[in-house]
Amino acid sequence: MKKISIGLYVAVTIALMVWGYYQAIYVAPDEQTMHEAQRIFYYHVPSAMVAFLFFAVSLAGSICFLAFRRNRPQWAQASDAWALAGAEVGVVFCTVVLITGPLWGRRAWGIWWTWDARLTTTLVLWLIYVSYLLLRRFAAGPQVQTLAAVLGIFGALDVPIVYMSNRWWRTQHPAPVFGGGPDSGIKDPAMLAAFGWNVLAWLAWGLLILGLRYAVERQHQKIAAQEAQEALDATN
Amino acid sequence: MDQSAILDHQFVVAAYCVTWAIQLGYVAWLLLKWRAQKRSAARIGRNSR
Repeated sequence: MKKISIGLYVAVTIALMVWGYYQAIYVAPDEQTMHEAQRIFYYHVPSAMVAFLFFAVSLAGSICFLAFRRNRPQWAQASDAWALAGAEVGVVFCTVVLITGPLWGRRAWGIWWTWDARLTTTLVLWLIYVSYLLLRRFAAGPQVQTLAAVLGIFGALDVPIVYMSNRWWRTQHPAPVFGGGPDSGIKDPAMLAAFGWNVLAWLAWGLLILGLRYAVERQHQKIAAQEAQEALDATN
Repeated sequence: MDQSAILDHQFVVAAYCVTWAIQLGYVAWLLLKWRAQKRSAARIGRNSR
């Protein structure tokens, strides 16, 4: 039953990805000033939204790990796995944002990069979570999970700053698409539909790989526990 | 098609290809890790018996 559910979810996700691509490339009209280059928007913005969501998952996992680490070790391990999965998949989506953004910027502004508030805070966010992953990968000892959880919480503090950056400061980056004032929002219904389908598709895809990353981490924790038990048995 | 439209098209193709290369590359890495861990788990299971 579980295998059928996963298979069905994968099939729906693939169908959504194909449909989202079709909407973005063939159905949505060309934007008036940026023309075809604006179609990068349909991958760039949903990737940023999913990255933010997964950094929030990492934040929740980190807080739960710190809350449960003393009295509920099983819950703490599961929380830690969610924190790691959220951070890693968030970094993947944030990498997509940081690559597709300059590609779009080169055509729209004529430059690959500028040190404006939105771009810089996004790069800082990416660097914080990459340092989180490096800490998880290369540090050893009983305190690594706790240190990582603290870093994960500090990293998440940058998410609202990134989100608000083009509201608080004048930036080269375009104004907010939604919630940015009376002129914000996508006016063309075909563009709005293409954007909505791509948000849904990337969210479904992101949840799929988040679940996979969580399962891999839980398996890793079980193997580590078994190996520790094996080593203990060998010494006794 | 003028030069600007061709460039626009090439940038869109590049952005979409890079996105999929990153996403599929990451999933492939995860699946390889999953498989390697399954082998380790099986080895530990055999040793403990």
